Amino acid sequence: MGLLSDPSLSTHNKLVDSLAKHVRKVCYTFYAAGVVWFFCLALPEFNHGTYLSENALSPGLVYPEIRIDANRLTVQLLEELQRERKDHTATTPYAWITAKFNEFGLETHTHNYTLRYPFGGGKEYHGKNVYGILRAPRIGSTEGIVFSAPYRAPSSVHPDISPSVPLLLAFAEFARRKNYWAKDLIFLVTEQEQLGMQAWLEAYHDGDREVDPTKAYLFPGNLPARAGSLQAALNIEVQDLDIDYIDVKIEGLNGKLPNLDMFNLVQRIMAREGISSGYKQTPRKARRSTFSTFEQNLRHIIAMLTTQSSGVPNGNHGLFHRYRIDALTIAAMKRTTHSNIKTSPNSVAIPLLKAIEGIARSLNNLLERFHQSFFFYVIVHNDRYISIGDYMPALVALVACAFIKAYLTWSTLDTESSGAPEINDSDTSDKLPLPYGSVLIFLTAALLIGYLGNVLPLQQYFQEIPMSAAPLTASLLTTLMLIGFVLPFFVVLPPGGLELLHIGLLLIYGCALIVVGLLNFALGFFVAVISVPLVIALNTNAPDTPESSSVGLRALIRVYTLLLNPLVIIYGIVLIMTFYQFPELGLQQLLLRAAIAAMDAVTFALIDSVIYGNWLYFAVCTVFLPIWIICWTLALARRRDPEEDEDDEDPQVKLKTN
Amino acid sequence: MRHAAALLLLLCLCGLQIHAHSRSGNSDEKFHEEIVVRPLAGDHVNTYFQFTTRWHYGARDNLFHTQLTPRVIAEILQTYDVKELHISLTQGLWRYESWGYPIVEATGGAEVWAWFSGANLTSSSVNSQWNKLANVFSGVLCASLNFVDNTNSIAPKHTFRPQFMDASSRTRHVRYASLPREIVCTENLTPWKKLLPCGSASGFASLLNSGHVHNTKYHSLSLKVRTLCAQPDNCVVELTQTANLVYDLKLLEQSSSRDFSLRRLFGMGLNGFCELADSSKIYVQRNEQGQRYQLVPSPLEEVSSTRGGFGSVYAVYDMQKLSELGDRLFNIAWLAPKGERRQPSTSAPPLYAHRYLLGAGQERGRIVTEVTNTHWEPLPVLLMELVPWYVHTYLHTLRIRSKTNGHGHRREQVLPFKLLHYAPGKQRELPTHLEIGFQLPPQSTASISIEVDYLLLKWLEYPPDANHGHYIGAAVISSQLPMGRNYTALPVEGHLFKHSFNATRPGYVLTLRTEALIVGLPTPDFSMPYNVICLACTVVALAFGPIHSVATKLIIVERNTTIPRNFLRKIWHKIKRRAGSKNEPTEQEEPEREHQRVADLNERNDDDDRTATDYDDACVQRASM
Repeated sequence: MGLLSDPSLSTHNKLVDSLAKHVRKVCYTFYAAGVVWFFCLALPEFNHGTYLSENALSPGLVYPEIRIDANRLTVQLLEELQRERKDHTATTPYAWITAKFNEFGLETHTHNYTLRYPFGGGKEYHGKNVYGILRAPRIGSTEGIVFSAPYRAPSSVHPDISPSVPLLLAFAEFARRKNYWAKDLIFLVTEQEQLGMQAWLEAYHDGDREVDPTKAYLFPGNLPARAGSLQAALNIEVQDLDIDYIDVKIEGLNGKLPNLDMFNLVQRIMAREGISSGYKQTPRKARRSTFSTFEQNLRHIIAMLTTQSSGVPNGNHGLFHRYRIDALTIAAMKRTTHSNIKTSPNSVAIPLLKAIEGIARSLNNLLERFHQSFFFYVIVHNDRYISIGDYMPALVALVACAFIKAYLTWSTLDTESSGAPEINDSDTSDKLPLPYGSVLIFLTAALLIGYLGNVLPLQQYFQEIPMSAAPLTASLLTTLMLIGFVLPFFVVLPPGGLELLHIGLLLIYGCALIVVGLLNFALGFFVAVISVPLVIALNTNAPDTPESSSVGLRALIRVYTLLLNPLVIIYGIVLIMTFYQFPELGLQQLLLRAAIAAMDAVTFALIDSVIYGNWLYFAVCTVFLPIWIICWTLALARRRDPEEDEDDEDPQVKLKTN
Repeated sequence: MRHAAALLLLLCLCGLQIHAHSRSGNSDEKFHEEIVVRPLAGDHVNTYFQFTTRWHYGARDNLFHTQLTPRVIAEILQTYDVKELHISLTQGLWRYESWGYPIVEATGGAEVWAWFSGANLTSSSVNSQWNKLANVFSGVLCASLNFVDNTNSIAPKHTFRPQFMDASSRTRHVRYASLPREIVCTENLTPWKKLLPCGSASGFASLLNSGHVHNTKYHSLSLKVRTLCAQPDNCVVELTQTANLVYDLKLLEQSSSRDFSLRRLFGMGLNGFCELADSSKIYVQRNEQGQRYQLVPSPLEEVSSTRGGFGSVYAVYDMQKLSELGDRLFNIAWLAPKGERRQPSTSAPPLYAHRYLLGAGQERGRIVTEVTNTHWEPLPVLLMELVPWYVHTYLHTLRIRSKTNGHGHRREQVLPFKLLHYAPGKQRELPTHLEIGFQLPPQSTASISIEVDYLLLKWLEYPPDANHGHYIGAAVISSQLPMGRNYTALPVEGHLFKHSFNATRPGYVLTLRTEALIVGLPTPDFSMPYNVICLACTVVALAFGPIHSVATKLIIVERNTTIPRNFLRKIWHKIKRRAGSKNEPTEQEEPEREHQRVADLNERNDDDDRTATDYDDACVQRASM
């Protein structure tokens, strides 16, 4: 029975001891391995070609039936819409869209919603979506597919995408005359960018909920008609009927992705229609670049992870993922290059219409919801991807550092506490009980600061302060950050506390990274890449021990810790982006503008979290901020002075055991 | 009910006398075929086929000899105590808001309900008869009715009212089941047509070609059997077969105009009438949406009827009368006036319902049923839910909230139950059965919501295409309308469409069906078991054996010094041992004691000169616990 309590397997065996001596080397090896693995992913040997695992989709099995008259209708509708846009500069021409839906014989409804803006004294905004439902002849309204087009009023700051609505309507008119639909088709025109879509989806899935007007911010209302369980959605953003290329946008809320089958489906159909299309597609000119495949792949991967890491969807499709509806956006870009090969106006919209028809018919074939196991992937190239099993080891190797270090630190700590009595065999036997209580209190305090950052900005009494939203949130966060900054100067842990705190930090950090990495790989990986070196370098040994770092290294660690402060990182990212966007600005102006933009970014993140359910703000406040406070405490490594006499024996102990 | 029954008896007796000069020669059996064509809003056309066979068979023994009635119907009446049976096979959903009410109600997929009545009938015997009955019709109609069993059947308490008449007032049992996943196809249409006396060879049934029937937005085949007994030996069996189709004119080929004809709808013209039929008539609605059409050829007569304060006009084509006149009616065409863009809009019927599922995720959700009253009076509403066992409902979350639809002020209130019957479900045994009655205020919408949990099924219980989701059948909503707007159902005592003309009653019993729902139960990734579960189980099994063995056994190492090293001596030793074992059989009989001895020796840590020559094994294992 003595297998588990075999003394030979204790933490004090030679292997552990020798490893403990080289903790940092081991950890840096793992770190390097993780980063190298990540770079290897860009090699063609480490990624796979895409394929369709859902056979029911069978893209391109049917001949497109959409004819030239659909093009005529699209052009005519676009002209009508342009006339309407002159009359409705700030709103959606609801009446015109409703009339068209009705004319085509769709069941037409409107959906009203209200937003109570969290800041600015609860100002209310009203919005209205229009949708038409094509009741499929082959089904009793148990399943549906959504085709959506965002409508941007002429006063919008974003690029004009008004041709999407005529395309949607022309496709609806075509689809209405077909008898093969086995899923209800919903044609949805939303307004106010993602807000309209979010409101519509919430109304669709939680329409009967009674919302507390003092707590909630978005009042989605209820929908007058539904079409069963939604299977998939396609969002269309078309800048012009004459398109240059199509950019397929897939990143959704919190870095979620649609099923890879759906992306592949779009790629195949687009290829069949001869449309240049791809993920993060760029104009033709830029594609004829001289990058090696490896470099190109790596850029592609990093570009995708960067978009994913913020957790903000890059199109209306991203909000569907939350309800387990696979969705993506096809963003058709206006032709700016090669204007000499303009297609004839008689068939200008035909390729896109055929592509939409092909996608719709493939989705219509689906017997089951998308379920094959490709929800976690990184796209390397338009036809190559990395699956979760291949990219996860990179993150695991990084996070492993934290756990290995935690284990080895624990094993040496154990020696300290149990080894001390053996050496002194006197009254010191009970001198070093580990201060679990105070460390726990410290951890709780750090977490509490983070939690307050999450809760305080939305409190009523802060909102009554006559300050606009961005400075308010930013100043609150900065205050909390400062409290965290000065915390280690006032609170000094008892002996052994720092070591215990270190182990606690490593465990919390490791778990947090793994969880964040599972939910949003990009965010977890980037955080790991920049913060793991710090975590490895952190050393809690007393300054006068030989194990401790040199003064220079210590200062370096402190500076690096300060740099890794979440607010500093946000400011840094915004600064870099500002620099690239406005290269003409002077340094002082640049810094100021970046500061304002960073404050706005924080506020937008907060608004995203309360309206859309983006958890980036929550994660930063509740997880990363407390971890940073603990890191800062450890980097300072302030010890309690009055126990100097007790510390006399400690160096000896460490000398022996370490 | 009794009043109606008496009236019905009177009617059927009258009918018997009037139709004494029947074509079939047998005055006891009568067959009628009818088509009702009603243009609906939004370029839809409803065609309703009804084939009625009535047989005054008298005593039960006569059931052995059938002429027009299918033998299987007679046989089930002979074998089971079933008095009334409804089966419908439907695809699509009837859209009440734009189409009004159908003549016969049906829900998507298959739906069955039956009334049983007989002497000494217990609930369990009804259950077994019900299962057998479903199995019989599974074969007759080639439908998956054999899946009807106690796990998806309930006994509705209030929603269904009997339409049969029993001579003696015995206990009555009703059973109801629906299979929303059932897909209706040609394989159901063909056997259904075979139940008709003329089959699909002649008569109106020849119009029902699968290619065109299934190219509709809604099609429903149904079968209704009921018995009407004045005395135990004076009975009528009535078999009504209906096919209810809704065509979408936009889906028909060459749909440039709004004109249509029987030939375009069915792909072929009329092929006379069934020779065995007592009457074969085509009714064409001429009011509401039918008003604007011009009929070619024009009908011989038009019937106008007023029912519950609402008038309707039907043109009648009597096929038999036409053939007597020498005309052969081949096609009827509806010609819409040219240049007309706007269609007359229709107002929503007095009561309609929708149902949907709310909530995201595979763990829990809410079923919401919305019932809307557009009438100016409160209406009594009875809602019946049959929730399958894999969805758990929570009665305490049941709530009825009503919202006034009036413009301006919107008022929300919680409506009280007038009636509540709830039979909780049991996993893999019983479905949840819920019936609620309440009064719906005028011009308002009530939403009835109940929260549900989804069950994780055993992995063999998932159907193929597991990620398609599981179905929850439609809710049945029953009400009594005070007026006859949009109401076209036959009166309970009538059996022909013409019986609904001028059939004004104090109230009109209305039943509605809502949408079926698809729920996504938590579904394992079925591509993984072979990779992961099998591998993990193997690893665990492989690891468990040695670890368990090592952990629970005491290992005793015993040096076996008595065996000589020399080869020759080894052989000699072996031979000696053989001989020794033969000479000392007692040692073989007491292996347990030997074990003990060896262990004792080992514990005492003796020197090597032990005499344990009989044990070749290097180590002896003894269970330590």
